[in-house]
Order: sequence, then C-alpha cells, then structure tokens
Amino acid sequence: MMHQLSARALRDEVAAGRLSALEVADYFLKRIHALDGDVGAFLRVLDARVREKARAVDEKRQRGEPLGKLAGVPIALKDNIHVEGEISTCGSRFLTNYKAPFDATVTRLIEAEDGLIIGKTNQDEFAMGSSTENSALQKTFNPWNLKCSPGGSSGGSAAAVAARMCPLALGSDTGGSVRQPAAFCGVVGLKPTYGRVSRNGLVAYASSLDQIGPLATNTDDIGLLMDVIGRHCDKDSTSLRWDAESYALEGGIQGLKIGVPWLFLEQLAEEPKKHFMAALETLKSLGASILDVDLSILKYSLSTYYILATAEASTNLARFDGIRYGVRAPEAKTLEEVYELSKEQGFGAEVKRRILLGTFVLSSGYQDAYYKKAQKVRRLIIDGYKAAFAQCDLVATPVSPFAAFEMGVIKDPLQMYLEDIYTIGINLAGIPAVSVPAGFTTDKKPLGLQLMGPVKEDQRVLTAAYAFEQAAPFAREMPPLKEVK
Amino acid sequence: MANINEATIDSLVELSRIRCSPEERKRLTHDLQKILAYIDQLNELDTDGVEPCCHVLEGTTNVFRPDLVGKILSRKTFLDNSPQHTGGLVRVPTVIKT
Repeated sequence: MMHQLSARALRDEVAAGRLSALEVADYFLKRIHALDGDVGAFLRVLDARVREKARAVDEKRQRGEPLGKLAGVPIALKDNIHVEGEISTCGSRFLTNYKAPFDATVTRLIEAEDGLIIGKTNQDEFAMGSSTENSALQKTFNPWNLKCSPGGSSGGSAAAVAARMCPLALGSDTGGSVRQPAAFCGVVGLKPTYGRVSRNGLVAYASSLDQIGPLATNTDDIGLLMDVIGRHCDKDSTSLRWDAESYALEGGIQGLKIGVPWLFLEQLAEEPKKHFMAALETLKSLGASILDVDLSILKYSLSTYYILATAEASTNLARFDGIRYGVRAPEAKTLEEVYELSKEQGFGAEVKRRILLGTFVLSSGYQDAYYKKAQKVRRLIIDGYKAAFAQCDLVATPVSPFAAFEMGVIKDPLQMYLEDIYTIGINLAGIPAVSVPAGFTTDKKPLGLQLMGPVKEDQRVLTAAYAFEQAAPFAREMPPLKEVK
Repeated sequence: MANINEATIDSLVELSRIRCSPEERKRLTHDLQKILAYIDQLNELDTDGVEPCCHVLEGTTNVFRPDLVGKILSRKTFLDNSPQHTGGLVRVPTVIKT
C-alpha cells in the first residue's frame, strides 16, 4: 500500500526500480479522485502533467542516470505557489484565470530532484485565515472529522497529506498557516527560519512574515524536503546566504533544555493541557529537562501581528487592480471603476477587512500610534525570545488552544484571529518552529505539540520533533476515510 | 485610542479603492472597532526608546546584482494574463480626455 509508505521509502522504491514513478503517480491520482470528493483538499489535480513528469523520471532511470532526492514522490503545492503555465488562484475569485508565468523557486528545486507536483491545494483567500473557510472557491474538510475545518490557511495541503493523497505538500506560514492546519489534521508541519526557503513565486501576503514550509506524515520526510528547498536563491532578496545544513535528525535530545512559558499558557483549557503535559513527560523521558521561561510579552503578539500583517497586505494587494492580470469587472467604464469594481467583486470579506485595517494603521495621523508602535513591540518580542533562548535550547507550547472546530462555528473575526495566539509570535521573531502530532482529544481530533528554536536552528527543532515522534508515534495513525480499491 | 466610525470607513474605502455596499460598510465599522479595541492593549507597554524593528534578522544588508539582461517573460505570456489587450498592449479605459 503505497500511501502507507514515507516519502523517503517511496523514493527508494522508485530509485531501486521496484516501483515506477508512473505507478506511484497513478496510485496517488486514483486515491485523490476517490477521496477528494469528501475532503476537498485540491483545487486542481495536475493529472496529465504529473503523468508526463513521472514518465520522464522513469526514462531517466532506464537510461541509467542517477535519480534525484525526491524521485517519484508526489507533492502538492498550496495554490499561492507558482507552477509555470498552471493556474494559481490563491483561493481568490480575483485570480480564477491567472496562469503562473514562471515556476516558483521551490517548484524548480523539487522538479530538479525528480519530485512530482501532483496538484494545487485549497487555502484561505491570499492566505488570510485560520480555517480555509475564507477560500472563495471551495470548502475543505478535516479528514479526521468531515464536519470540522482542517485549519488554515494551508488547510488543503494539510488535509491532502493527512488523507495520504500525497506524502508531502508545501504551504505558506505567515502567522501559523502551516503549523495550525498540520496540528488540526494530525500531520507534521514546519515553519522554517525566515529566509530559509525562497519566496520567489509565492504570492506575497505579509512579506516580513511569510515563509514557505513543508507538511508531511513524519518528521524525517520534512527533513528530506527541506534538504531540497532550503537553498539560497538570488531571486528573493530576503533569502539567507547560509550554507545548506544537514537534516540528519537522529541526534536525540539528551541533555537539551526545553523552556515552557507557563504564564503565557495560563488560559489553556484542560484537555489540551493534559496532552501538553504528557508531551513534556515524553520529552523528559528522552533526556531533556524542562524549565519555566518568561515569554509573557507574547500576549501582545496577536495585536502586533494584525497591525504589521495588514499594513503589509494593504500594500502587497494593491497590485490586484484589474489592469494587468486577474478578473476585471466587465461593467467598469472608467479607470476608477476598473479598480473599485474589480476589487469589490474579486475580494472576499476577510481580504477587504484586512486591506482596510492595514490602510487605517498606515494612514496619516495613525501611523505612529499603530504601525510604528507595533514595530517597537516586535522588537520587544524578538528580545523576549532571545532572553528565553539564553536559558534554554528550545521552547515548547501547544500549537493551538483547541483542536479542530466545526465548520462555520467561529463567525467573529477577532475570535478566529485568537486561534493563532500560540503560533504568531514565531513569525514576528523569524524563528523556526515545528508542529508535531501529540495526541487526540476524546472525540478523536488530533492535537499538536509546537517546538521552536533560535534563528537558523531548524535542524535542532526537527531533531527534537523526530525524537518525540519516535517515542510518541501519534503521526502514524491515519484518519478514518473510506477504503480505496 | 482611535474611534472608527462610518466616515473613517468611507475614507479608507476611498484610499484603498475598494467599493463596498452600505451593509458592508456597517459590518466593517463594527469589525474594525472591535479589532482596534483589542489592539489598543499595546498601549499598556512602554516603548519609549525602543528601536522599531524593520527587518527581523540582524545583519541583513541590501542585495545588489549586476545589471545584466536575463531571461524575461515574453510579451505573449504577459498579455495572456491581462483582462483586455489590443495590438500587443494592455487596454484600459480612457485616462486622459481630449
């Protein structure tokens, strides 16, 4: 059963010639077409393209050429990541007809290692949301409970991996958009250090926070994909010029000090708290020590985020004006009407809300009180993490205050924003953090453990997640979906 | 603390060039009031003398590259995405009236 194999195992089967890349592609295509009617993870499945690429990988092997690190592994991309010649909607009506004119750097790197891009996944519109319900195009459901949201904004990528419709996917994480859906769907998700993965070909939401990150059924596969995409890129001016590090994850966590910001976590409800405490016990049993750290500054992270992210969004999204690409309102007679009507018709409620909020915090008379104030608090948050990491090697928190919620129950925008309270500070500080499955609620919804480390220490974070996963293998459980014959 | 009213929303709508119905404006007034009331918690913090953070990673410098012609998009690729074009150019409504 190929869907039970890790990406690395699939790759090894293909490289050894025991499976052809085309067999793998066809197996997962069949699985997507059987299951995605219930889940709704994919906006587009690239059947013809992925089969053609798979044939090319098989021909390469037949010619005796060495195969790449991702040979024959199907990978889904969030729909804000470009694949040349394919539609990139970003979950928006505005871009329903937008054909990506070039490959994102991550797309190019994956295909250079013989990985197979199998489809484009659903997301909250322009990555603004925490439930994927803000997609203008379709609903995505959580494979563990089809009444529930998969989380967001990379909900399609998380649901696709959880349902084993592909072993790997990419999402983007601006405030938790890879980690929170990973937790809701019971898979592993990484937000790498800011600048670790090139954003060339990722449609920008909030550029000082956005980072592409991988999702997988296990931590080792996250390392496999990071080894391919965690490269310097001269087409992204924020891409870091660090040598690629190793993603060997077997080092263990004996002797590591793990900080827990108890004061910041005091609101945590009983059930997630119980699982979090159990996860800390597991980490202790592996030789780590747990200590209390003060990150109470993080209670200001959500406010800081919603000033900075919306300010950046209001400028980044000004480009969607109905002139050069996207959908233009057909009845617009003047230039002003082209702008106003195209945006009115193209953008959903959350996108409008954030553009207006961002316009407000940047407007004359309010810029110092809001935008500049938030930039200063961001500095205090970064300093808070630095002080914590002077005392410990990693910090642990839950990923989210709750498990997956039912579709449609959170109607108040502020309440939805509060979903991200534990993940958002990480983006403000640019540090790496992983979400790893850490148990189930009594009604069988996955919960996630978040481990974060200092800037550049992506490998340390993943090594700890890997050790945790070996001792507490919740990630191996699969959601109760129908059998595919 | 800022007070968001319907006049503020009218001005933001104009600045961001998004047309909104009267119902939407009402809803946005309510939502933004609530969000800003929450955000006002930042005023509890004394930030005098704190340097604003403009880039999250220290030691980042501007990136330059040689000004050389590389691979660029073809006109056709570009125009295929434009909602209206004519004679190899993007078409927009009249901007300057004669």
